[in-house]
Parts: sequence; structure tokens; C-alpha cells
Amino acid sequence: MPLTPGEGRGDFATLVGWRSNAPDAAPRPAFASPGAISTPGDGLAGTDIHGTTVIAVKYKDGVINVGDRRATGGFAIMYDKAEKILPLDDYTLMAISGSFSKAMEIVRYLRHAFRYYERSQLQPMSLDGKLSELGKVIAGNQMAAMQGIGAVIPVLSTFDRERNEGRIFFYDGGGARFETAEYGAAGSGSTQIRGVFEYISKTRGPFREMDRETALREALTLLEIAADLDAATGGAGKILPVAKTITKDGIEDVDEETLRAVVNDILARDPLASGPNAR
Amino acid sequence: MSYSLYDWNQSLQQRNEYVEDRLKDGSPVVAVSFDGGILLLSLRPEQQRKVYEIYDRLIMGALGKQSDVESLRIAAIDTAHREGFERSPDDVSVQRLVGFALSPAIKRVYNDQTAIPLTLRVVFAEMNRSADEDHLFVLGYDGEFAGRQRYAVVAGTAYAEQQAEEALAAAAPKTLEEALAAALTAWGTARARLAPRAASDDEEFDPLAADGQDDGSAPKTSDDPAVALREALKDGATVEAALLSRTTPRETKFRVLADSELTAAVAPYR
Repeated sequence: MPLTPGEGRGDFATLVGWRSNAPDAAPRPAFASPGAISTPGDGLAGTDIHGTTVIAVKYKDGVINVGDRRATGGFAIMYDKAEKILPLDDYTLMAISGSFSKAMEIVRYLRHAFRYYERSQLQPMSLDGKLSELGKVIAGNQMAAMQGIGAVIPVLSTFDRERNEGRIFFYDGGGARFETAEYGAAGSGSTQIRGVFEYISKTRGPFREMDRETALREALTLLEIAADLDAATGGAGKILPVAKTITKDGIEDVDEETLRAVVNDILARDPLASGPNAR
Repeated sequence: MSYSLYDWNQSLQQRNEYVEDRLKDGSPVVAVSFDGGILLLSLRPEQQRKVYEIYDRLIMGALGKQSDVESLRIAAIDTAHREGFERSPDDVSVQRLVGFALSPAIKRVYNDQTAIPLTLRVVFAEMNRSADEDHLFVLGYDGEFAGRQRYAVVAGTAYAEQQAEEALAAAAPKTLEEALAAALTAWGTARARLAPRAASDDEEFDPLAADGQDDGSAPKTSDDPAVALREALKDGATVEAALLSRTTPRETKFRVLADSELTAAVAPYR
């Protein structure tokens, strides 16, 4: 039958013959260790453009993702309008750090893979299926990543409609996935702020019980701290970060006005903004 | 054994009759483009889906043999996704999909004297910025296709399609409610008017009597769309409607309308 080249099981990789382990050269040390916070980029990657810090935290209605807008190549700021929080479908966000080109390719692939499955099989791919798909892609990318090019560490956030709660997953460089209880972060600024997450949840109560405004404020504060402590992460003072939420109603952008108000307030409270050493 | 022009003509005619005979009883599918998006509607006797999402802004509905519909659907999805991934979603258009991928493939099967032609008639719709810019296509079992604007119907006969499209032209719906009402009427029209009514000869005209029900006492046949709808619903058919929404902020523009969204439109025929 000339009409049906596919195997009919909804596998997009088979359809397009997609492999994620494109041959790359340029040796670089192996990166990252498994853990809630990973640092794929060491800022010395040469021509590879890297996204920097992304953060996902739970709140009472779902999950918030925030990310700065900076993409770096070595020590140069290549782009200050990068979108690093990307929807894979109506209920799944992928926050990317590491190689920008590879991450974009992975996002493009997954968006098609999820939809291709749903449209051809007439049922949505399960959450577990989606997580495995991303794991496979990262595992396939491992060799290239070990050689120093194309390492991608994503944080995947989703709203689980069966359990009626937001969920956050992160991956190590080999494609293993871990679910976090409260938060996830990735990128060059993420190690510096790891302790702050713990401090916030121990002093202010768990993220998953916060309302949207509180969780947004904490997440943006964390991002601002990352920008202060990490050379590659862009501060919110110059260019507004991106913030998106996932709830039972799907994905929504936090509007610019709300974002600007919170950011201005955080910046105004900065102790360095007043006093003898005011900037 | 010699093979004359007459034989060739004869075999072609037989193939056409074979297919058209099987299409006649199929449930029509109506596509209507309106301000809020594109609506695809049909009534299905079984649980089998009849309207499908093909790509981000592409939907399809078909009548015919389910196995054939299925292989065409998969071919359409494969082609659209491969192109969308390897080039860009912006390059996936109904015009390219139907004209250069599906039509030639169907025509190949149709021309193959050793194969059974695909028994189907398919409507495709592509959503763009406004209803005026939407593109609709109707594709037949022999690979022939035709572009449409605003509305398109696939039904058992060409006459039925034409009648239903006239009904839609008159309706010119603006909202989803209006589109649902117009699409239901068009479906009824396409179902009830398979052939022109012969003024003197009701027996000849009657396509519904072939359905085998009814006793034959009352005036059995009617070309009233409302009657066709009422009978179909009485026989346990369910309305299936899917929407490509122009206004949704969601990633997925396609959704199958829930029963609750159809209740009001279907109520007059219950």
C-alpha cells in the first residue's frame, strides 16, 4: 500500500529517522553530576551558545517556571532575548539550559513527537511516555555532550491532570529522570542558589503551598540572586525575565505588567540599592 | 484474449460504480469556516471517530470504508509532520498536502487495475487568520480534488454535496452556534437529497427506503433535512463535531466539542 510508510505506532523518530547524537568534535571535560541542580556550561564552550539559569517551583495551583533571557557563547553575551521556557504541549513546559542549538532541536523534535503520537494514535501520549521520550533524547545526546558540545539539561514541568497537581522532573546527562518534590533548577547560575531554595522552604513554608504571587516573587528573587552570583545569568533590571505557569487550565504567560511590578519591587529592596555603596 | 477500448471503458465504469455504490450510504461530513475557526461535523452510527486532527491548523473528515479512511489519515499525518519538522510548520499547507502528496497516491491506486480503489471521499480544511483566508479541499476516490472557500461537504453523491453546499451558502454563519446549526442542516440536506426528486416517481427517488426501515404506509420519503436528522438520531447516531479554534490561546487549536456544547444545537431534532 503506497499510502502508509509508517509503522502505525505513532513513533515520530522512526518516521523522520531522527537521531539526537549528531557527531560533534571539540573535546571538553564531561559535565554535571546528577542532582537537582546541574551545571552543563562552564562558560568556556567556545562557539556553542548556552542558555543560563532556569527555575521551576511548585505553587498551590501548579508550577511556575522562570528564566532569564541571556544566552552566552564563551564569555560573550550572544543574545539577551532568548526564550528558554518552551511549551511542548498544552500542559508541559521544558525549561532549557546548556547548548541552545541542541535544546531548540530537542524541543522541536518533542513537540512533533508528542503531537504525532496523539494525532495518529487518537489518544494523548501518557506522561510517563513523554518523560521517557525526553530521557531517550538526552541519552542519545550523551556522547556528543561528553565531548563537550551539545550538552542539554532540561527541567520538565507539567500539570498531572489525573493527580490534579503540578509535577517537576529533572534529568542527568545520561537521560535518567528524577522527580522533585518542590523545585528544580538548571544552568550555570543554578548551583549558586541551591541553598536558597532550601532556606526559603524551611523558613517560609513549602513552595507547593504558596499562592501564585508569593511563588512568583520567590522564584524571581532566586533568579536575581543567580544573576548577582553568576556572570552568565542576566539580571532582571535590564531585561525582564520570562515567567510561565501551568495549571489545570493549561499554560499561561505571567503578563508583563505583573512581572515588571514584582521585579521593580525586588530590585528596590536590594540592600545595595541604598546606603553608602548605593549603585 | 484481446482488450478493447470498450473493455477499458467498461472496467473503469465498473470501478466507479463499485465505489459510488458504497459511498452512497455513508454519513456526510460538513466543514464550515466562520469567524471563530473551522467546524467539522458529522453524525456517526458507531463509536468510530469521523473527524480528525491532521496538523496544527489542519483537520480532515471522511466518509467511506474505515480501513481506507484510516490509511489516508495516517498518510496525511505522516506527510504533514515530516514536512513540519524538517522544514517548518508554516510550510505545511493543505494545498501542498492534497495536491502533491495525497492526490497522486490515491490516483496511483485508482489506476492500478489489480487493486481495489480507495473507497472514500475526504474533506480537508486549513485554518488561517480569517474565514476568508481559510482553505478547504475535497478529495475523491480517483484522486480528483477541488478547492473550496468557506464551506465544503462530502456526501454520498455529487448532487447531495451540491445541495448541502447551497444550504451553507445561504446560512453564512458567523458564530459557533450559527455554524453548528448550519452544519446540522447541511448534514440533513446531504443525507436527504441524494438525487433530484423525480416529480412523478417517488419510488425511484427514494434513497432512504434502502435503509430497510419504515413500513411503507405513510409517505416514506422526504427531502426535508430535519426529518433526516431526526431519523438518524432516533436510530442512535451521535453528533460528532470538532473545532479548529482561531481564538484559543492554547497550543492545540483542535478540540472535539463536548456533548454539552452540542445539546442546544441538537435539541430541535431530538
